[in-house]
Amino acid sequence: MRSRRMLALGASLLVLLSACGTGGGSKPTIKIGSDGFYESQLVAEMYAQVLEKAGYTVERSLALGARKVTSPALEGGQIDLKPEYIGSGLGYYDASKPSGDADANAAALQEILSGKGGGITVLDYSPGEDTNAFVVRPDTAAKFSLTTMSDLAAVQDELTWGLPPECETNPLCAGALTDTYGIDFPPANLEALAACDAPIAEALQNGAVDVAELCSTQPAIAQFGFVVLEDDKQTQPAENLAPIVRNDFLAKLSSSDKTAFEKLLNDVSAKLTTEVLTELGVEVAVNQKDVADVARDFLTEQGLL
Amino acid sequence: MRPGEPLLDVAWIADHLDDIAFRLGQHVLIAVIAVAVGLAISMALALWARRAPWLRGPVTGIAGVLYTIPSLALFAALLPFTGLTLLTAEIPLVLYTLLILFRNIMAGFDGVPADVAEAADGMGYRSAERLLQIELPLAVPLIIAGVRLASVSTIGLVMIVSLLGKNLGGLGVFITEGIQTFFATKVYVGAALSVALAIAIDLLLVWLERRATPWSRARAARAVAAD
Amino acid sequence: MDVLTATLAWLLDPIHWSGPDGIPTRIAEHLAISIVSLAAAGLVALPVGAIIGHTGRGGTLAVNLANLGRAVPSYAVLVIVLPPALQLAPTLGYEPSLGLSEIPTFTAMFLLAIPPILVNTYGGLREVDRDLVEAARGMGMRERQILFRLEAPLAMPVIVGGIRTSAVQVVATATLGAVVAYGGLGRYIVDGIARNENDRLFAGVVLVAGLALAAEGLLALVQRLLSPRGLPSAGEHAFRNLAEVPAPPAFLP
Repeated sequence: MRSRRMLALGASLLVLLSACGTGGGSKPTIKIGSDGFYESQLVAEMYAQVLEKAGYTVERSLALGARKVTSPALEGGQIDLKPEYIGSGLGYYDASKPSGDADANAAALQEILSGKGGGITVLDYSPGEDTNAFVVRPDTAAKFSLTTMSDLAAVQDELTWGLPPECETNPLCAGALTDTYGIDFPPANLEALAACDAPIAEALQNGAVDVAELCSTQPAIAQFGFVVLEDDKQTQPAENLAPIVRNDFLAKLSSSDKTAFEKLLNDVSAKLTTEVLTELGVEVAVNQKDVADVARDFLTEQGLL
Repeated sequence: MRPGEPLLDVAWIADHLDDIAFRLGQHVLIAVIAVAVGLAISMALALWARRAPWLRGPVTGIAGVLYTIPSLALFAALLPFTGLTLLTAEIPLVLYTLLILFRNIMAGFDGVPADVAEAADGMGYRSAERLLQIELPLAVPLIIAGVRLASVSTIGLVMIVSLLGKNLGGLGVFITEGIQTFFATKVYVGAALSVALAIAIDLLLVWLERRATPWSRARAARAVAAD
Repeated sequence: MDVLTATLAWLLDPIHWSGPDGIPTRIAEHLAISIVSLAAAGLVALPVGAIIGHTGRGGTLAVNLANLGRAVPSYAVLVIVLPPALQLAPTLGYEPSLGLSEIPTFTAMFLLAIPPILVNTYGGLREVDRDLVEAARGMGMRERQILFRLEAPLAMPVIVGGIRTSAVQVVATATLGAVVAYGGLGRYIVDGIARNENDRLFAGVVLVAGLALAAEGLLALVQRLLSPRGLPSAGEHAFRNLAEVPAPPAFLP
């Protein structure tokens, strides 16, 4: 086992050094990438496994640090396919565009990506999503009777806010808080912390912040019993997950293969409900199971492998 | 840290020994390539700078400035040209070694006494012979000192490569994943192995230095004591 | 070139020179954490360095430990310290926000600042001519007098050299604090990356580099004033330990 891993290491480095795929066989090699976030890795791993089963050779480039890395990598053809959150993927290119309407986000993302890297196609998005969630500790919720985001305005100055560094320029963060919910930005007490990350959850749990922007499928919510405040005025973007794939890769496929390829990925998307994303997130981030194993178990159970 | 999580999850470590060995091997490989390439480039620059002394200032200056560029920005800038390859990972690491290696190689050459060099000329050594047989051996202790420092420093720096994903991340992957999923064991494993690796490589190079420069053992002992 | 012009424009925009996110505030925050960490590191490293330098015992161990510390990135220190710093807040009675930002940042910078000061204090004292020390002993000077009246003044330029290296490294690396909601110039770098704003990002880089250079220049001047003979220029000697090598600053994940 160990020697196999070392061989794999050598082989992967050789591949990376030569950086050229060999297109042998009937099905081309596909390079699949993902963002650093474990959920993105998990979904990318699902794509990889169903495609491998269908006879594609897959090269994985998972856990690429940030969109500043994944976006140039996809546009430059270092990867062919990745899972994308249709709200923040769109917001990366134009922060004013994302909305709560999934169809609109997917369409707007498609419009922008058509002009990137020789054309990139957005396939079907999942029914489930991982959107921004404003959460509080149960004691804060009880003390100020908080259940919805509208409840926050009256007590805004009594709370310390944990908001991401990009909040100020993001219409869906500062914009939504101010215009829709009547919360001043910046709030009187603000700590700038990346959303969905471990430090912000630690900070909330230990009282360094009282209200924090997390991700709705983040296991920390269940783990620490945080209360998710309802986005009662629907300000947060639809963040469904969609496979996005380079057109030059699709062009390598015969038309029947292309239809089958798209169906494989769309079938995965169809199974990804918010509940599924949350449960699988617990497997990875709480039970510390390996991403590939969690993906395989899920796909097998769903009859996709 | 997860509530109720043990300080160190031994079961996880036991289950992931091959994964840990893989990351460790990858970490070593990436660091060794960086130091080896950095040494070759620094040596070439140093030999050039011996003939063209004006180069010395600019090379040192540029090597210093390179340190101020955040790695994420550097990777993003490199990606369109070099892709998600080992090359992209190695470029910043190699650049970071230049400052140490170039300066120590130059200092090593500086340390060759002028009369020794002249005596070699008088004995009819050609320039290349003088370099290989006289100057280089005399410069070896400082060069190896530089390689030791560059190696330890690079082992810490390989962590930044985890920005380029799991294929290339080395031990840094454990640290990023551990932070992301509240799993302290991964962070400790990543940090502790990185230190252990630095110790091992440092000891190896000390041993190599002793082997390479038997004549300077006494002097080296004194130099260490004077540090 | 676009990035250069945009960065310059960002830096010259008066809107960035006032308020809580203004450059003066960020510089003040940056200096505050740097100075406190440096001072604390000095309080530990100067006496320890002086003792091992004066007695000559444990020096190799200390130097090697200091070098190996560099294999642990400051970022790892930051995230390892974060959870306990937050959890201890109620028990020890400090504000949770200190546990979130100041304590982790301080700890990482404190640990980064120790090696250069320690190594140089030790090395500076060891470089003092042993014959001189023996002569002083022969003249009946006590150990404490030898340390403070003879060794310390002679070693002062080297010791200040260590403080200078520490200062440059700390100023360059304190950018990390922005990850855990500390202010400082790292704010511009972290925010610039998060917002995909290259002008803000590189303005941060330029300001950090400028502040590091200023710290370097100031302490180089102090070093020169304390050095009776004048010093060899920085480019001339080899690195003998890692403590002398600058740490790459925005060493972000």
